[in-house]
Amino acid sequence: MLSPLYLVAAALAASFTLGLLNPKRSGAAYAITLVTLAFMAWVPAGWLWGFMAEGAQPVEIYTAGALPPYAINLRMGLAEAAMTLLITLTGLLSALYLKESLIKLGHRGMAVLMVALMAFCGIVLTRDLFNLFVFFELAAISTAGLILLSEDERALSAGFKYLIVSQLVSTFLLIGILFAYHASGTLNLDTMASARLPHGSAPSFALAFFLMFIALVTELKPFPANGWALDIYESAHPAYSALFSAAAATASLYAVDKLLLVGGPGWYPMATGIGITTFLAANLFALPQGNDRRLLGYSSLAQIGLILVVLGQRDLLGEGTPFIAFGLLVSHAVAKAGLYWLSGLVGGRSLTDWAALRGRPLLVFAFISFVAMLTSLPPFPGFYAKWELVRVLAGEGRLALLALILIGALVEAGYLFRWFGYMLKREAPAEAVNGEPHQVVPVYVAVLAGWVLGYFWGELSGVGLGHHNLLLSLPLAFALGFLLLDWLPAWVKNTLAITGMVAFFFLTYAEYDPLRLIFALIFLIGGAITLLASYDAHGRRIGFYPAAMLMYAGMVMLVRANDSFEFFAAWELLTLGSYFLILRGKHSEPHALSYILFSLGGAFLILAGFALAAGGAAQFPITALGQVAPAVAPWVFLLLATGFMTKTAAIGLHIWLPGAHAEAETDVSPMVSGILLKAGLFGLFVLLMAMGKQRLYGVELTHVLLWVAAFTALLGNLMAVFQEDAKRLLAYSSIGQMGYALFGLALMNHLGWLMALMFVINHYIYKSMLFLSVGGVAKRTGTREMYRMGGLIRLMPLSFIAVLIGIIAISGVPPLSGFGGRWIFYNAILASDYRLPMVILFLAGPVAFLYLFRLIHSIFLGQLKDELRRVKEAPFWIALPQMLYVGLLLAFALAPGLALRRVDTYLNLFFPEGGLHWEGFEITSDYGYWNPVAIMIVVAVIFVSLFAWLLFVNRRAQKVKQFNIVFSAERPFRPETTHFAWNFFAPYRKALGFLVQPYATTFWGALTDFLHTAGDLARRLYDGNGQSYALHFLAFVVIVFGVGV
Amino acid sequence: MQFDWMKIPYALLTLFIVVNFGMILTALVAKIAARVGRRRGIRIWQNYADLFKNYGLRSSITHGAMFYLGPVFRLTGGIGLLLFVPTIYGSYVFSNLSFAGDLILALYFIFFGTLGMALGAAESGHPHAAIGVSRGLSQVTTAELPLALAVFSVALQYHTLSVTAIVAAQQGGIEHWTLFTNPFAVAAAMLAFLGSMMRPPFDVVSAPQEIPIGPPTEYHSSYLAMMQTNRAIFPIAKIVVYMNLFFGGAASWPVFCLKVFLIYMVSVFIGVVFPRFRVEQSIRWFLIWALPLGVLAIVLV
Amino acid sequence: MIHLAMATGFLLILIGFYGAVSNRNILRMIVAFTIADSGVNLVIVAIGYMPGRTAPILDATVKAGYAAARIIDPVPQALVLTAIVIGVGVTALMLAYAYKLYEKKRSLDIAKFTELRG
Repeated sequence: MLSPLYLVAAALAASFTLGLLNPKRSGAAYAITLVTLAFMAWVPAGWLWGFMAEGAQPVEIYTAGALPPYAINLRMGLAEAAMTLLITLTGLLSALYLKESLIKLGHRGMAVLMVALMAFCGIVLTRDLFNLFVFFELAAISTAGLILLSEDERALSAGFKYLIVSQLVSTFLLIGILFAYHASGTLNLDTMASARLPHGSAPSFALAFFLMFIALVTELKPFPANGWALDIYESAHPAYSALFSAAAATASLYAVDKLLLVGGPGWYPMATGIGITTFLAANLFALPQGNDRRLLGYSSLAQIGLILVVLGQRDLLGEGTPFIAFGLLVSHAVAKAGLYWLSGLVGGRSLTDWAALRGRPLLVFAFISFVAMLTSLPPFPGFYAKWELVRVLAGEGRLALLALILIGALVEAGYLFRWFGYMLKREAPAEAVNGEPHQVVPVYVAVLAGWVLGYFWGELSGVGLGHHNLLLSLPLAFALGFLLLDWLPAWVKNTLAITGMVAFFFLTYAEYDPLRLIFALIFLIGGAITLLASYDAHGRRIGFYPAAMLMYAGMVMLVRANDSFEFFAAWELLTLGSYFLILRGKHSEPHALSYILFSLGGAFLILAGFALAAGGAAQFPITALGQVAPAVAPWVFLLLATGFMTKTAAIGLHIWLPGAHAEAETDVSPMVSGILLKAGLFGLFVLLMAMGKQRLYGVELTHVLLWVAAFTALLGNLMAVFQEDAKRLLAYSSIGQMGYALFGLALMNHLGWLMALMFVINHYIYKSMLFLSVGGVAKRTGTREMYRMGGLIRLMPLSFIAVLIGIIAISGVPPLSGFGGRWIFYNAILASDYRLPMVILFLAGPVAFLYLFRLIHSIFLGQLKDELRRVKEAPFWIALPQMLYVGLLLAFALAPGLALRRVDTYLNLFFPEGGLHWEGFEITSDYGYWNPVAIMIVVAVIFVSLFAWLLFVNRRAQKVKQFNIVFSAERPFRPETTHFAWNFFAPYRKALGFLVQPYATTFWGALTDFLHTAGDLARRLYDGNGQSYALHFLAFVVIVFGVGV
Repeated sequence: MQFDWMKIPYALLTLFIVVNFGMILTALVAKIAARVGRRRGIRIWQNYADLFKNYGLRSSITHGAMFYLGPVFRLTGGIGLLLFVPTIYGSYVFSNLSFAGDLILALYFIFFGTLGMALGAAESGHPHAAIGVSRGLSQVTTAELPLALAVFSVALQYHTLSVTAIVAAQQGGIEHWTLFTNPFAVAAAMLAFLGSMMRPPFDVVSAPQEIPIGPPTEYHSSYLAMMQTNRAIFPIAKIVVYMNLFFGGAASWPVFCLKVFLIYMVSVFIGVVFPRFRVEQSIRWFLIWALPLGVLAIVLV
Repeated sequence: MIHLAMATGFLLILIGFYGAVSNRNILRMIVAFTIADSGVNLVIVAIGYMPGRTAPILDATVKAGYAAARIIDPVPQALVLTAIVIGVGVTALMLAYAYKLYEKKRSLDIAKFTELRG
């Protein structure tokens, strides 16, 4: 292992060598620079390897032949090695990226770059305060020098503003250091820390410390003293911005951390306060940003603010602090550097210009990996860090801070995912991305590093906290494997996917309890059936399979999860996968965004709920939800239930669903509707099984759920009635159906849960079937507006049959399976303590007839349009699963016991009373009885007899042409004016339309508008004037001093 | 489970009696309604004549498969509803096929014929048919609500969903009828009954002057004959449910005839007195007048 | 004496800061910062000063053996040298910026360089 002094020595030596070199030989200078930077990266890499693999001990490096405090000493420990490696690697890659401009600038630019990196490393390594000051000044000068060399003219003013602020900062820092020296008699951080006790309470030392602290914190760009940093982020060359964001921030953070250790816990609240304010403000201001680099700048400020919060929570986090802080830091550094490098490949500076990346799938993958890292999604390090942070904060009761962190994180996810949506969906600029290899390689290295770090953090989390490394779980690995196979044709991947899912089910089916078995069946086998429709797609279908498999992997992991960590990770994975799937639709950009935001919001509630329930315990089995302390239990229940209900689209949280489900691709709609919605129900099942009834301020929460469910069912159905778009109609219908299922769960009795399960199964079958039929029709007709169709029964008979069976089943009319759900429902409510919510649900029931009739009438019956006369039946692969579903539906109608009987027995564990009795084909409850086979036979016999009779008496009936009707004494000739379909239920709207005013949409719209407007107004604080920024800094100092004292 | 094959001829016997009773009853009701308007009205066997005529008509067209099946659905719904409910209390012969399911089956089977019929009518492509369906479905959403609440209330009251058990609980004198033990439920249910009988003020669905008879407008000859058969059966089948739930059921055919007639007459009385509601008016009417009764019924039971 | 020096130092710093935020001319701002720098240096020296002791130079009057008790604290004096050097560097860089900024817009008014904002 080479001495860390080489970091300094190599940079200085190389810089001076460059000065001696003939200025014309830029190529040689560039080679020397790269070699030096590589060497500088090699030094900490060796140390890191030593610490990690060989168990080396941290070493002190003494200088000037004297021991501290009489001479400067450096330290190389695990943290230092990791940070200097991060800094030097970013520097190396940035230098690679900067090839052209460095060669153009000549050796001076290269020398400045190396000095800057040396300074950053020095900040990390040094243990001497004054030395810290010197390195900071070096960093400031070299940074300003780098900016001075930038091509963008605006960077000049940014650099000058930076110098103004850094002048102020250095004044504070220097005076602070000297007074601290005066008070403690040492400049060495370690001796000062140990000397803190006698001096710590002294006001002079405290004041000196405050000056140092505020100066160093300002290097972290805290709100509001950060306008200068934003200007640099926006205007500097992206490679410098990458350095600035990743390397400089790393160094400054560590400096603050070192100082905080000197100051002691008394200063932690101040760090936390500054951090959280910055996190929230920067995320808010980022919201209205249109410039990509400035947005990244805001995001950087926010991330660093968050890490400052973590440092400020050291008193709670203790030994776990590095795991969390580093997890967030590497996620931030890798992602931000990667994104800045990417921004150099994009020609325009508007967010929508990033659509240019779309032609390069690998770069798209890089982008989303970075976004996932920044938003702390699994399997990246930030995810483990976030989990751990929230666990501890909730365990120690710092709930307000926790809430603020989660709110800020949600806002951040908002603008990042919106950006991702722009990239995939907006019109691509004419000029494509033509990244040179030396520009693209750093990006790829960053992506790779992100994934490797994800694996590494998984291992760390496994060692320290006993969690499973997510990247090692089979379903996720299977899903990610499709990333590598994306070059294969779609049908090969489809076959692989189906095989994998079916095989996994057969490998594991013995492990599930009866309830989980139903869900596993729907997720795996059901998913495989739905995937049959994907054979219809041609080409390679880049990106579809990784996304779909990610969603399925998440769902499988959800069913198999034992503890809260696995559960939550699975939840986020399935959310992410389904988001990508939904985003694939042609016009689904805004809907996918609202989906991911609601889902992440829900996920955060779940996260908070689990953390609150665990009370700080590292391991929290799901079943332990039942033993949560009574004081927090109802809150846990509330958080978790609300989180799960964002997925089932309970009323008020439903506004993402219609667009997301309707705009998705033909074979995606059944996945996200028929299958994905069940994940939310599964969560609710798990929650209610473990926690049962909970009371909050005397209100029984399941009773509240009952009302929510009833209104969800009613309003979902009512809104479906007024849709013109067939897929939106089905989507709203799903909201209503989920309302029913939720209602069953909230009844909290045996049959209620059985009913919910019946809805789970039924809804999977018929909604998948209907979405496929309608999708097939939309594919053939080119529209989803029902009134543009009509009379398709003859042209698309299979689709018609599927829809017919589907609507009979949904409406609950015997003899199909929907009736079973209704029958159990009636028995369940008879056993319930509550009566009034039923009124709403009774009203909801018949409303379903309205939209179901409208669906089948407007599409298949009525008048055929001229332009649709040549429409063909849906493609084979879309029709095939529909027919399978018809068969399934009939089978389930005849023998519900196949699926339900074991669950019925299983539910006896929770509700010993009120189960069903299964005898032969007859099913008996405490109140009534029901014999599905007998019903089917009776109905069939009557139907067939009458049909035969009609055939006999009506054997000479002639088929007539379309317009062989007369009304109003005229023979119609235009299908458009004869097909009664548009605004089909006009009188109904007159009567009950007031119930479907979009209050929820208005509310959420107003909320986002408010955030945007607030961010837009507040960011005017940064007026671009260097003197204002100086005043901001002074105001910041005064405010922190005032609040802190 | 052992199926008693004799149930089939017994069920057919019930069907036979009810069809004939229905034919005569509807004619009688039509006559009464005519007399209120100072007209002579139809002859009492007019329904038979129409039926034979329609079955005998030679001209016959079809608009497609669903159109063809519409009347089959319709009549299946009527017959099924009749046979899923025991007609005569205490009689094995006339217990029909009620072993297949309880009250909930009957309630949901009401929609079987309606739905099929609506689909068939819609395939004719006739706008009046579609308009009629739109009106009918709109109206039914709130018209059925009081009935659903009343049924819920009755099931709560008797702790069972078995029609036979509900009738059994009302035996032993008129004061044991649900009518007296649970008057709010019965009141709510009877208002719903008005909404389902296709008589004024709730007959905008088939509004003869406006959208000539609405959904069935394109049906003729044997289709129409089947639907006429249903028109004889279906109201009776529905009334049987009401009779069993609220009015003590019937232990013999004479009682059956009397009760069915009287219940039927409720809708006739109201129908000849009141003018027609528009759809949104009847929706509001049910929500304002019938719904509170239903809510009271489930709260007070 | 020591308090006077320190007060003067802080006064210079405040004058410098005030000048930096109240003058829109970039050159004046740079001058203001130089004044503040001088103030800082003065403060540092004042911190290291101990009444009644001599300069930290080992010569005939100050024997190495007794030095610790007779000289003032040498560390701040050493540091102030470094600080002066750094200050010169920063000032030079700021002047370079001023030159380039003037080249770009033919103006030295800081309020004219606000194209980056929000």
